[in-house]
Amino acid sequence: MTNTAHTIDTALYDAVTDALRAEAKKVLESGTAAAVIGWQAGRRRGSAVPAIVTDPADAEKLIFSPSCVNNLALYLTKAKKEVREKGKLAVVAKGCDMKALAGLMGENQLKRDDVYIIGVACAGVYGPAIRGNAPLDDGTLARKCRECAAELPEGADVSLGTVPRRPAFTPHEAAELARLEAMTPAERWAFWKEHFSRCIRCYACRQVCPFCYCEQCLCDRNRPQAVETTPRPAGNMAWHMVRAMHLAGRCAGCAECERACPMDIPLNLLNRKMAKELKELYGHEAGFQAKEKGPLAEYREDDNQSFIK
Amino acid sequence: MHIHKEKHAFEPKIVAFVCTWCTYAGADLAGTSRMHYPANVRVVKFPCTGRIDPVFILRAFQKGADGILVSGCHPGDCHYMAGNFHARRRFAVFRQLLDFIGVDLQRLQFSWVSAAEGGKWVEVVTELTERVRAQGPMPEFKELEAEEHWSGAIDTPELNAAYNDI
Repeated sequence: MTNTAHTIDTALYDAVTDALRAEAKKVLESGTAAAVIGWQAGRRRGSAVPAIVTDPADAEKLIFSPSCVNNLALYLTKAKKEVREKGKLAVVAKGCDMKALAGLMGENQLKRDDVYIIGVACAGVYGPAIRGNAPLDDGTLARKCRECAAELPEGADVSLGTVPRRPAFTPHEAAELARLEAMTPAERWAFWKEHFSRCIRCYACRQVCPFCYCEQCLCDRNRPQAVETTPRPAGNMAWHMVRAMHLAGRCAGCAECERACPMDIPLNLLNRKMAKELKELYGHEAGFQAKEKGPLAEYREDDNQSFIK
Repeated sequence: MHIHKEKHAFEPKIVAFVCTWCTYAGADLAGTSRMHYPANVRVVKFPCTGRIDPVFILRAFQKGADGILVSGCHPGDCHYMAGNFHARRRFAVFRQLLDFIGVDLQRLQFSWVSAAEGGKWVEVVTELTERVRAQGPMPEFKELEAEEHWSGAIDTPELNAAYNDI
């Protein structure tokens, strides 16, 4: 497999950046939104950071590049109240971010009318620790993007850019999931134990997740304490299981948790597994359409109960 | 009346999370009917199976349970109309998560036992106890609990590569 055969054409990003600046300017000048949540160039060359633009003149700062990894849906949750206070917001969303927005709308965290969504076509973003203006290829593409099927967000107010033809990448996460599923339970336990014991409980995975918007997290509570808060292996295991369980059927698969994890724990593997099970069991899939109820918030009388005696 | 009690080398700790309306009453019926079932089971009463959080199961395993039973009303009989339907989905998913983490599902039993099914309660509890007894103590969570400090290996190839990159 050569890199040249698997390089994504990045002309899309420049085209989208221009269209994005024009759109943001129009939105702010017409008063459609009081602020646009997007990305701007970071201090390091080629990097990008989330930006909230309120002045039409600042619309020129906005960019879209393969470094725009952040899922901006996070800024529309209860966890970021200070952003919502700015008034009606416009948000730039890649396909995976659009799924998160749809999920938040389904959970009544967000009203469709309160947000102006600028959808951007995306051919993929960089994986961790890629700097500068590296070509977007096999080596630099984020793992989640290798098997992405949501390049163009649907249901946005405006959609910018068209996705270029992407070369077929070998899926990484699906292969890893299959590898784990083929293991014996003891091997899987050893795998997760090793990964979870590294956890330092910084809760970056929680802070960066658009769906972890609870004002009081179960895992922060003591009296009664459900999950030990010190970074010991037992508490770590419990925390990651609780996290996977609370995200089951809600996770939009943006893999921000895995990106934010300083200890490189393969968190999206858990999310993918839960998504896969929910699809098999209840036919649920995270999509662009806001669903009123998630698979664990509803039921059918004829649900499978073969595991119950 | 005194039945012969067999001596075993290992007595498993079984925790039963039961709903107060059906299974608790069913267990009560087994008692008032003077049926015998293993004394290994510790019953914890909840208003409904819908109240039973997967965290409780984790906590019980961490605190030394070798087997866990979750039991409530049959579908359609829930005192709160739909609590057990919700619980059914939740536990179906939680089972898959436990399996993916590497926990032996043989140690976890879900059942529907109504207030009239004292016999079924005896049957379910006996079966689970014997199954867990045959498997021996559950070491995984207990070992994890005993590990005192964070002992992450910081010489993994990935971290070394990242360090050399700086």
